[in-house]
Amino acid sequence: MSPGDPASEEHAYWSPYVAGLGIGLTLLLTFYIMGHGLGASGAYTQLTAKLLQRVTPDHAQANTYLKDYLGGSFWQSWIVIEIIGVFLGGLLGALTARRFRFQIERGPHAGRGSRLFLALGGGIAVGFGSRLALGCTSGQALSGGAVLAVGSWLFTLTFFLGGYLVALLVRREWQ
Amino acid sequence: MMAPLVPHEMLAPELGLAVALVTGILFGFFLERAGFGSPRKLTAMFYLQDFAVLRVMFTAVVVAMAGLLILGGIGQIDLEMLAIPDTYLWPQALGGLVIGLGFAVGGY
Repeated sequence: MSPGDPASEEHAYWSPYVAGLGIGLTLLLTFYIMGHGLGASGAYTQLTAKLLQRVTPDHAQANTYLKDYLGGSFWQSWIVIEIIGVFLGGLLGALTARRFRFQIERGPHAGRGSRLFLALGGGIAVGFGSRLALGCTSGQALSGGAVLAVGSWLFTLTFFLGGYLVALLVRREWQ
Repeated sequence: MMAPLVPHEMLAPELGLAVALVTGILFGFFLERAGFGSPRKLTAMFYLQDFAVLRVMFTAVVVAMAGLLILGGIGQIDLEMLAIPDTYLWPQALGGLVIGLGFAVGGY
């Protein structure tokens, strides 16, 4: 198989149980030290709040949702540093597995433009949903799931439901 | 040593940022190794082709959950001090649904 062959990449991925064990132990370590789990979407809320504050401080202060995120330095926010770590860890993983490359990944019959358009739409939905649910798949499904939070398990169920509901409509994008 | 370390003041809060960086790097590394840098792999579950997302996620949840129970049982961690997400049934159900839709469409 050539290096660019998707099948050869598939072999380079770890067993899902080994990768899951690694993530589970990382999550356990985070709880052991910090008393809370891992997150992701909160970093974007920090970014949004701090950018808005820089551009238009009055408007940021008047926003009832974002004003709670204006205190403290952006660079001293736990979740911001964690997400920078996630970026570095992902980069390290891709580089050491030799699968780092610039690409817009999509199905063989999907156009670049439509893929980017759908990525933007999907991203807006994920961003909105994660503020509504007070967390995303990391903060709710993973971290909340591990401490058996009722709402987090409900979140996990409706997350999969939502994915299956819409998947057939965008099949061409991926398959 | 009694965990959780930072809430119990066994570890200075300033060191929490170093912990954030290290746990973030580990999290990102394992996610990449699982194949989660690829949106096609992440969405393959919705076409009943590759259930890696489900396997990785539930393995991680069970490992962390079992670890917390064991550490709590032998008195190494104070489970009462763990941050448990509050329950808001409708927002969490709707938020999960919207994220699921967005995830299948956007790929991440």
